[in-house]
Amino acid sequence: MTAKKDKIAIIIAGIVIGIIAAALAYFGNPKNMGFCIACFLRDTSGALGLHRAAPVQYIRPEIIGIVLGACGCAIAKKEFSPKGGSSPMTRFVLAFSAMVGCLMFLGCPFRMILRLAGGDLNALIGFVGFAVGICAGIVFLKKGFTLKRTYKLPLAEGFALPVIEIGIFVLLLAAPAFIFFSEEGAGPGAMHASIWLSLIAGVIVGGLAQRTRLCMVGGIRDTILFKETRLLLGFVAILVAALITNLVLGSISGTPFFNLGFDGQPVAYNDGLWNFLGLFLVGFACCLLGGCPLRQLVMSGEGNTDSAVVVVGLMVGAAFCHNFGLASSGEGPTANGKIAVIICIIIVAIIGCVNTLRKAE
Amino acid sequence: MTYIATFYSHFGAIRYQKICKEKGYSAKAMPVPRNLSSSCGTCVKYEAPEMLLDKEHDEIEQIVLCTDDGYECLWKASDS
Repeated sequence: MTAKKDKIAIIIAGIVIGIIAAALAYFGNPKNMGFCIACFLRDTSGALGLHRAAPVQYIRPEIIGIVLGACGCAIAKKEFSPKGGSSPMTRFVLAFSAMVGCLMFLGCPFRMILRLAGGDLNALIGFVGFAVGICAGIVFLKKGFTLKRTYKLPLAEGFALPVIEIGIFVLLLAAPAFIFFSEEGAGPGAMHASIWLSLIAGVIVGGLAQRTRLCMVGGIRDTILFKETRLLLGFVAILVAALITNLVLGSISGTPFFNLGFDGQPVAYNDGLWNFLGLFLVGFACCLLGGCPLRQLVMSGEGNTDSAVVVVGLMVGAAFCHNFGLASSGEGPTANGKIAVIICIIIVAIIGCVNTLRKAE
Repeated sequence: MTYIATFYSHFGAIRYQKICKEKGYSAKAMPVPRNLSSSCGTCVKYEAPEMLLDKEHDEIEQIVLCTDDGYECLWKASDS
């Protein structure tokens, strides 16, 4: 495929993903949250009882769909390749830190785009923080940061996470008593599109992201490092498509899906400093991880167990955020959350230094 | 001949690019082409009479030759 065809492909994929994401909010997901990898992993952690925050407990089929869609596409295109062994515990800690940043901002980079498409200007400040965080990561990349090489692994290892996702989907369908679901009106966890619609949306997004290598971190990183805008185009396409879809849905349904401003935004607050620092932490950590949370889900579907460890790290991080009172809410960040973000920025910087200095020896 | 080398780290690519340039080859660090690898990392595309394989360089993942039909894998790190 030529570079031009590649660019067209990622733009089309971005448009489709943007429309699906905005439509999911219309069909029941929280506003500006058609997709949010961080929020959805957090909801899933809650449903599995890893945290007990009643408003955010639901097994999100979108996550399952993304992993399985990416897995199916990778198998079909002979790109499924079980591998891992590249500093898994370091990746776990980076993922944990990234989730602390996501739940400070109230969204992953994907939701940042959707918040922008919904007119939430707080996400613009978050975007600046995200880009500066990626720049911080790039400084380490240029100095020699590496988490060391990956190794080929047995087939079963690569299928572990996709199979676990199927198991979690069965738990969603069976809904046994030990799985927690937010009660009607309790909060974002109670707001969701139908199971099968969400699953299909996830499969499509996972498949498209696998084929195009869509990555929010990669888009900004490649643009800064190489002036290569291919991945960034996907990012822009999602924004434009979701924005137009929001406007269209608003005019059809009479319910506004676009509300320009800082105040009164759904599942968001307007403290600029912490919106900035939250996504700064996400950009920094994910740049060292080599991809945004969406990309990590997709790579875990391709058999990359390092990315599967990142997904587990994100889920555990989300559980800790709610158990320790670190997660923000629509009312703003918490004192514990602010301290945690600062600590995590320091931890990510230490990981950057340690894995860079080692290289220089 | 045009070759592309992929790496386990960005720094590995930058170091390799430097070696290529020291040998007088035209070399450019860039994102890995979509249909070459699923990674979204850095590769080095270079023009040289033959593949440049630095045995000391443990950051190289694979080296491919660019052909009219796509890519021909010439070397791959063991267990990768």
